[in-house]
Amino acid sequence: MRRKLDAADAAIVERLSRDARVSNREIAEQLGVTEGTVRGRVKRMEEEKLIRITAVTNIDRFKDAALAYIWIEVERSGQTRDVAAELAGIAELGFVGVMLGRADILVITMVRNAEHLAEFVHQRISVIGGVRSTRSTLGVNFVKHDYRMARIVS
Amino acid sequence: MTDLPAPSHAPHIDLDAIDQAIIDLLRKDGRMPYRAIARALDIAENTVRARVRRMEESDTMRVVAVTDIEAAGYGMLLAIGVQVEGRSPESVARELAVIAEVFSVNVVVGAQDIEILVVAQDQAALNELITDKLGAIPGVRRLTPALALDVLKNQPDWVPFHAA
Repeated sequence: MRRKLDAADAAIVERLSRDARVSNREIAEQLGVTEGTVRGRVKRMEEEKLIRITAVTNIDRFKDAALAYIWIEVERSGQTRDVAAELAGIAELGFVGVMLGRADILVITMVRNAEHLAEFVHQRISVIGGVRSTRSTLGVNFVKHDYRMARIVS
Repeated sequence: MTDLPAPSHAPHIDLDAIDQAIIDLLRKDGRMPYRAIARALDIAENTVRARVRRMEESDTMRVVAVTDIEAAGYGMLLAIGVQVEGRSPESVARELAVIAEVFSVNVVVGAQDIEILVVAQDQAALNELITDKLGAIPGVRRLTPALALDVLKNQPDWVPFHAA
């Protein structure tokens, strides 16, 4: 179980969640702490995988991009973990989760259109040993994604 | 997070190879100094600054801090399919998007009308979220949830900016 952010951490993260290119000095001035405190806490939070500072791009600025949910069933339940681990290695997948209910594994990816989705599933997912069947859903309107939250794994 | 301005309709922009290389470096380390990016790509520091600013100002890219859901106090993550009746999926989706625990909302085609990702602190909070909040929204006919037992990867690099 990962530790929860304390109040000082949370204040720094709140500032970074809006624009993480802001300097440590600026955050320090705003919060009335030293620059060293900010630098040290950011470093510690990153090392403990409590936060990740990263670039996100706006899907609305790009043509032909839709979110696809792919639900996967494995041949035998005992294979779930291995199949999921192999899926996690596919760069195009933004989410890989072992699920309880609906299917064994859920993966989420970005595709250009339905044809691209079919090709991706056929060439990259169905070929993995242990994958019994897949069910895909193509998004038509990506209404919200709060990019400030994620399960930080690597 | 609760106000949802209408999606902007600025023209699509094309990123060249240098823009893409800058984004790739910032995805790995969002706090990489401009000077280090310039050195890695063998271009001028001012070029890096100008390109990052252009991508930020056009709402194409943002560098942000992502908080681990467990560190934020949420122990559970679920993917829930939502079937809608008597109302347009779009309007139900907008109402779902206002709820803080619902961190991803996607209108889809198929057996479900909307797919959402939600977090909850514990089982009691989940019960309240599903029964009192999600289930009470007009037009929500049926919720089909799946609980994530283990998340092996979660790197949402591409997201809509207007609703986060």
